[in-house]
Amino acid sequence: MSQYRVSGRGRVDTSRPVTFTFDGKRFTGAQGDTVASALLANGVHLMGRSFKYHRPRGAVAAGSEEPNALIGTRRGPGRFEPNTRATVQEIWNGLETNSQNKYPSLKFDVGAVNDAAYMLFSAGFYYKTFMWPKNFWHKVYEPFIRAAAGLGVSPTEEDPDHYASRYLHCDVLIVGAGPTGIAAARAAAVDGLKVVLVDENAEAGGTLLSEPQAQIDGRPAWDWLAAELEALKAAGVKIMTRTTAIGYYHQNMIGMVEKLTDHLPELPEDTPRERMWRVRAKQVVLAQGALEKPLVFHGNDRPGVMLAGSAQTYLNRYGVLVGKRPVIVTSHDSAWFAAFDLQDAGAQVQAIVDLREGVHEALLSEARARGITVKLSHTATATSGRLRVSSLRVNPVSGGSVGAGEEIRCDAVLMSGGWTPSLHLFSHTKGSLAWDDDRTTFLPKDTPEDCLIAGASRGLWGVEAVLKDGAEKGREVAELLGKTPAQVAYSVAGDRTGTGISMKELPTDRSPGKAKAFVDYQNDVTAKDLRLAVREGMRSIEHVKRYTTNGMATDQGKMSNINGLNIAADALGKKQPQVGLTTFRPPYTPTSFGAFAGYHRGDHFEVTRKTQIDAWAEENGAVFEPVSQWRRAWYFPKAGEDMDAAVARECAATRKSVGIFDASTLGKIEVVGPDAVEFMNRMYTNPWTKLGVGKCRYGLLLGDDGYIRDDGVIGRLGQDKFHVTTTTGGAARVMNMMEDYLQTEWPDLNVWLTSTTEQWSTVALNGPNAAKLLAPLVEGVELTEETFPHMSCVECTVAGMPARLFRVSFTGEIGFEVNVPAPMGRQLWETLWEAGQQYGITAYGTETMHVLRAEKGYIIVGQDTDGTVTPYDAGMGWAVGKKKPDFVGMRGLARPDLRAKNRKQLVGLLTEDQSKLEEGAQIVFDPKQPVPMTMVGHVTSSYDTGTTGRPIALALVEGGHEKLGETVYIPMPDRTIAAKITSTIFVDPENARLKI
Amino acid sequence: MNAPVSSFTSGALVETSAARISKAPAIGRLSLRARGDLAPFDAALGVGLPLSIGQRASVDGTEILRLGPDEWTLTTPVPRTAQIEAAFAEIYEAHPHSLVDISGREVTFEIEGAQAAELLTLGCPRDIETILPGQGRRTVFDGVTVVLWRDAEDRFRMDVWQSFAPHVLALLDTGCRELAAQSH
Repeated sequence: MSQYRVSGRGRVDTSRPVTFTFDGKRFTGAQGDTVASALLANGVHLMGRSFKYHRPRGAVAAGSEEPNALIGTRRGPGRFEPNTRATVQEIWNGLETNSQNKYPSLKFDVGAVNDAAYMLFSAGFYYKTFMWPKNFWHKVYEPFIRAAAGLGVSPTEEDPDHYASRYLHCDVLIVGAGPTGIAAARAAAVDGLKVVLVDENAEAGGTLLSEPQAQIDGRPAWDWLAAELEALKAAGVKIMTRTTAIGYYHQNMIGMVEKLTDHLPELPEDTPRERMWRVRAKQVVLAQGALEKPLVFHGNDRPGVMLAGSAQTYLNRYGVLVGKRPVIVTSHDSAWFAAFDLQDAGAQVQAIVDLREGVHEALLSEARARGITVKLSHTATATSGRLRVSSLRVNPVSGGSVGAGEEIRCDAVLMSGGWTPSLHLFSHTKGSLAWDDDRTTFLPKDTPEDCLIAGASRGLWGVEAVLKDGAEKGREVAELLGKTPAQVAYSVAGDRTGTGISMKELPTDRSPGKAKAFVDYQNDVTAKDLRLAVREGMRSIEHVKRYTTNGMATDQGKMSNINGLNIAADALGKKQPQVGLTTFRPPYTPTSFGAFAGYHRGDHFEVTRKTQIDAWAEENGAVFEPVSQWRRAWYFPKAGEDMDAAVARECAATRKSVGIFDASTLGKIEVVGPDAVEFMNRMYTNPWTKLGVGKCRYGLLLGDDGYIRDDGVIGRLGQDKFHVTTTTGGAARVMNMMEDYLQTEWPDLNVWLTSTTEQWSTVALNGPNAAKLLAPLVEGVELTEETFPHMSCVECTVAGMPARLFRVSFTGEIGFEVNVPAPMGRQLWETLWEAGQQYGITAYGTETMHVLRAEKGYIIVGQDTDGTVTPYDAGMGWAVGKKKPDFVGMRGLARPDLRAKNRKQLVGLLTEDQSKLEEGAQIVFDPKQPVPMTMVGHVTSSYDTGTTGRPIALALVEGGHEKLGETVYIPMPDRTIAAKITSTIFVDPENARLKI
Repeated sequence: MNAPVSSFTSGALVETSAARISKAPAIGRLSLRARGDLAPFDAALGVGLPLSIGQRASVDGTEILRLGPDEWTLTTPVPRTAQIEAAFAEIYEAHPHSLVDISGREVTFEIEGAQAAELLTLGCPRDIETILPGQGRRTVFDGVTVVLWRDAEDRFRMDVWQSFAPHVLALLDTGCRELAAQSH
């Protein structure tokens, strides 16, 4: 048995020893221990170094609010986590843990010189210290701040663990499985209501785990607890432990993180490390309890100084005495019971020091009975000891003056400044708080959510009071859900009720300006810092917080907020509610990125959409590129080819004979109904009324601002039926925009839209031999210039498959797009591939498609347009129906700005030195003008391979349409390139090649 | 796991003690959009179109699920597709509507087993318990639009667009193993 383990106390199993390491040294704890309780059982208090001053620190708490005892945990390669709270991490055989923020060792840390220089690091030190000299910033200050910022070390290896997520719907969610939550669950679990009870700890019970002396309904607390949990399970309540409700979001959506494996020695297969639960609860009961406040006095951060309630928890839950000669300093009755428990377990309590002038006689007589010295009206003014507290200095206070100090030798100081109701989740709901002067704390008031708050988290104290309140709230939510719950009464013996007062920093006989009286342990903020912030002009607690960093650490001010507020309010001479409370933000406790990412990592990071022909492309060596969610074949390199060589070959082969291209990703929308043509007239800029059945037209879609949003070829397959195509990336957006107009603006139109993007696999054939290749495979139409001219469409049969055949071209060559039902896509592709061998058919990817279209001046929406380009800017005024009464964007196009002469217009560019321009490069008219130059446009598309024998580019240039033949300049880092403005059409301006 | 959709074959794709995922055989699918007097459509189909969203009807191997205020999805044996299209074409002039063949658009995963409903909670924000056996809903799974058919307490079908199917299947696969490990 370890030195500080108390036989017969605690819930840990000392018959099952567990061995782990801390800073390389082996320690043995018991099954059920946390790292902190196991180290304390071995007499180790020193667990870390503080953030700013590198002061030695030990565990100050026993739960998730712990600010000091942050450690790194390790389980083999990749499984390293910094900043884990030693008070939460359960031990298992083989666990490796390490202290943080120390060099070279925890016991001797050179960074502790900051502590000696603490006057430099006062409030706002970032803003003051690092201002001068200016040239020190990059070389000295910033590296220093970066090195000092943050705790622990970021993991460097990839995390091999899995993370999961679930949705959960329930009638009642109860947060906190202490007596309040248990009573609420018991009352609410009636008549089939689905109740979920969640707790961040390894076991349910809350404060009952630390108060075994209580007798509930005549049974010892732990027996009652075990029976009650069984009864809850039998009633169908889902009890989730090691699960933290991290945030309360709109409409009763609660985020919860369940830790599944961090406590296990062996990792089970297929089990995630953590799981994010997204819970939608009809009613929520918050029973998060209360957190104990530290007292603020010089040296209140020395290892061995901890919260009295936590010492009680270490004793009763873990069977560990945190010290053998503790001294208690308190302003609340609760610490007296901690003293009694420790004394009864064999410790020699050196004294109970209470700030108050008087306490209840019952407490005094209990202390007397145990022979414990009591010092009322006393303050604590200092501690001593290097890596562990060795004495506490206490002074009498009388009529506001502090008398002579007296040293009390001790090995632990147990403090209590009272208790703060835990309002974190309640505040996430936008719940309002009310200041309670008696208790010197904020209490919950109203919330817009379907949420009740119960027990200690609304300021109640004592097991019986919170059981009663929990049961009431449980009944209330059950009634809100239309049920009739039964009355449940609880009687508690051995209950520890009590009161206390709330303090600012404790009175002292020494200079308060030199006191290291910590308010925020994790960020090393002292009372002096807070007062300095007020002296320097901070008036709101939000400003004080940011200036001092009080409450900004990973513990989110669980211990420091109210003490900080009390001190700031005192310094300002105002009441606390006038100074305000800082906002509580999710998550309640630090949450791993893995929990947020869930399943979305690696291959599953994001949807990767693939066409039916994708596998063929992969088998044939394609290089892919992502296009919105799709992955598309980019180019098909042959052995030894780079991208330029492959694209040049693909371009040439297509212009010379025939190329084949997977166009399946194009968006497709079936527009059907008697008002289909009217709908098309209103949506697109083009006129559709006169488009004959079996004909296609290029359509241009604008936003109502008049700018180009999408384009595509649209075929009229029947009087009332259009086959609309959209860009690959625009498919969903266009569909939504159309539905939006249809449902909100034109519900009178008898027309319906159906997404058929994935109904069809689309194969494009382009090149002089395209018709020759395709004709023998087509039944139902003859592929001649007369019977099936450019911009025709027909439903027919291709290679025995039902097909929609379009004669369209995005290359300037004779072109066809064959649509067959999606699952037949690969079969069609392979049939065409076979049939095309005699023509040397070449598969090409998106890069060749881009080059070939650019050579013809066909735009790509989103590349040559950027959301500020009108049809006129793009040189496509011909696509705007002049006689139409209206279309989306018509009004926008009429705005004077959109008709201005000097707008940026799409033109071609040919460089004088035959070099390739960089896409995105800025353009100027006069390269000799002073810097900063006036930018007049930018390069939108640029290619150096292709079939024109020289690089070409498209660009948006101010007034470009009037400047054909003029020279513009593209300044680059190393030189300035001159380029001539040309038409956007570089190949076959007469469209002779489109003819069969 | 992000296999191309063309690699799926009918039959079991994943099977654990929690659930079994298989790909359903190819079937005819039609999207029907109509409003106003539905009687002519009922007559053409030989069964009344279900009147509330999520309700289903069936006749001669054809199943109909109402997805929205003017939207139904029909599944039918492949040869029946053309017959239904012809019957609807007959009444188009008098009762305009949209009937679009979407047979190629989607694949169907059959999800069955003791934890089938729980498996769906991995990706579906909707309360699965509100979809009663014999009903269906359009919803999302892991951010992907799907149509869920609940055929029994522990048996579902999920219609997914082709290109999203591998992503959806990958999570179903992960989930089947996760749930099986959890119940050990």
